[in-house]
Amino acid sequence: MACGQGRAGLARVAAPWLLLLPAFLLMTYAFVLPIGSFLEYGFYRFERGRLVQDFTFETYRRFLLDPYYHAVILDTVKVAAIVTTIALLVGYPLAYGLWRLRSPSLQRWFGLIIFSPVLVSVVVRSYGWTVLLADQGAVNWTLMRLGLIGEPLELVYNLTGVVISLSHVFLPFVVFPIYAAMTRLDPSLREAAMDLGAGWWTTFRRVTLPLTLPGIVAAAQIAFTLALGALVTPALLGGGRVLVLPLQVYRATSEINWPFAAVGGLALLLMALVAVVLSNRLLRYAEP
Amino acid sequence: MPRLPHPRYLALALFCVAGAVFILSPLAIVILTSFSATAYNVFPPQEYSLRWYETLAAQEAFYGAAVRSVVLATATTAIALAIGTLAAYALVKYALRGRDLVKGFLLAPIVLPSIVLGVALFIFFVRIGTINSDLSLLVTHVLVATPFVVAIASAAFANFDWSTEEAAMDLGAGPVETFLRVVVPQVRAGVVMAGVFAWILSFDQVETTLFLVRPGQTTLPIEMFLYLQKWQDPTIAALSSILIVAAALLVVGLSVAGRGRTPADILRQQREGRR
Repeated sequence: MACGQGRAGLARVAAPWLLLLPAFLLMTYAFVLPIGSFLEYGFYRFERGRLVQDFTFETYRRFLLDPYYHAVILDTVKVAAIVTTIALLVGYPLAYGLWRLRSPSLQRWFGLIIFSPVLVSVVVRSYGWTVLLADQGAVNWTLMRLGLIGEPLELVYNLTGVVISLSHVFLPFVVFPIYAAMTRLDPSLREAAMDLGAGWWTTFRRVTLPLTLPGIVAAAQIAFTLALGALVTPALLGGGRVLVLPLQVYRATSEINWPFAAVGGLALLLMALVAVVLSNRLLRYAEP
Repeated sequence: MPRLPHPRYLALALFCVAGAVFILSPLAIVILTSFSATAYNVFPPQEYSLRWYETLAAQEAFYGAAVRSVVLATATTAIALAIGTLAAYALVKYALRGRDLVKGFLLAPIVLPSIVLGVALFIFFVRIGTINSDLSLLVTHVLVATPFVVAIASAAFANFDWSTEEAAMDLGAGPVETFLRVVVPQVRAGVVMAGVFAWILSFDQVETTLFLVRPGQTTLPIEMFLYLQKWQDPTIAALSSILIVAAALLVVGLSVAGRGRTPADILRQQREGRR
């Protein structure tokens, strides 16, 4: 700054905070205060259809000791883990294929195909899967035509349908972090391995896979946390049989059982945080 | 001389084709079903008709919801872009004390499961008595969109050549003029991307919005979600097909805009931006 040191100096200190002010106001009003008041409700009780506002650990005690909620938490983690695994198993080869495609236009189109479901509402995608997986749907029709099964498989309104649909919904979020890790890879490393006589499998196992591990961990973190909080897909494809925690929180909120919604929501939040912290730890080990 | 690719590459190519089929099939089946003549799902459809589009045209709830969603998403995008771009500019340009902490705070809503955010905001708005106002809905969507704008715009600003800004100021342009005529044009691609992202994000909100809308005053995804919990006829397929075609047009548009740029180029740009 050439002139007006004193005032310009003050302006320089104040300017960034002024620019950040709208964001801070928004975060305080719509994030900090609501989350605070939400957590407060966890210390209230819900009895005989009424909210009782006195300080108690009753709701926490009930939630933590009831075997039903243990099963719900276990189911929630199980669904998220299966979905993450399937999304990684499908997503890694797709990312690899995208990376190895030699024609730029083909690569662009394939990238857009993988990305495009993000542009369509989760409600639409989940609805598509209920149609596809129905007893008289396209998947069962194809399997019967091929003579692989005698009668329709039950693919929807159970865990199978929820898992298939969620894996589809999160696939783009898995492919792109892995693909990004692959583009960071130095091609000469693979060439060197090949030149030194390593076969493709050894090269993949000893060079490509370890070097793309950060991408895998990042992808797993995104898929797992998104799957933990998924509501629309279990609601539409679970048929009332997949009672994951977000559905319980949803139901408790509609029944004005806010203390339970708060405790369940806090449990979800903690599970997501544990996943994030764990994967950040793993990421530190995985960074080459 | 062309030679047959190695079986390994053939297997990879086959897997990728199967992957593309997996990705596109739930969307394709929705479009096929929307032309089915029967109310129940059966594959392949026995007869074709336009009756579900006619049913859809008679459902006025969807019109109102669609208009409300578009208005909400557009307002959300405008506000989130303004708040988020300013914050990102401040975060990248000034060596703030505790910058990582501030950034982490502003990005925190991304990590929170959306259902938790939705319920927390619902309880909060009930408590302070603003639950039935459209403003509460707008604030919620702005809160969801802003962190993504901050993240994308920060990457764009990190790529920015700050000397051009100083040059403009030295030549006598005011700070606002400099920002609008020198800074914004250079980070346009990032800001446009952030805007598109914010719009889609707002248009697709279900979990955060579910409790905030009044019956008869819902947004499009909520209206569809509630409809699907009651009925399963292909009216929803007809509506979904229209949304899918709109998304497909957007994809073609993106593809034309990004001609000559592979996904790798885009990622490389972003990465350089982050440095």
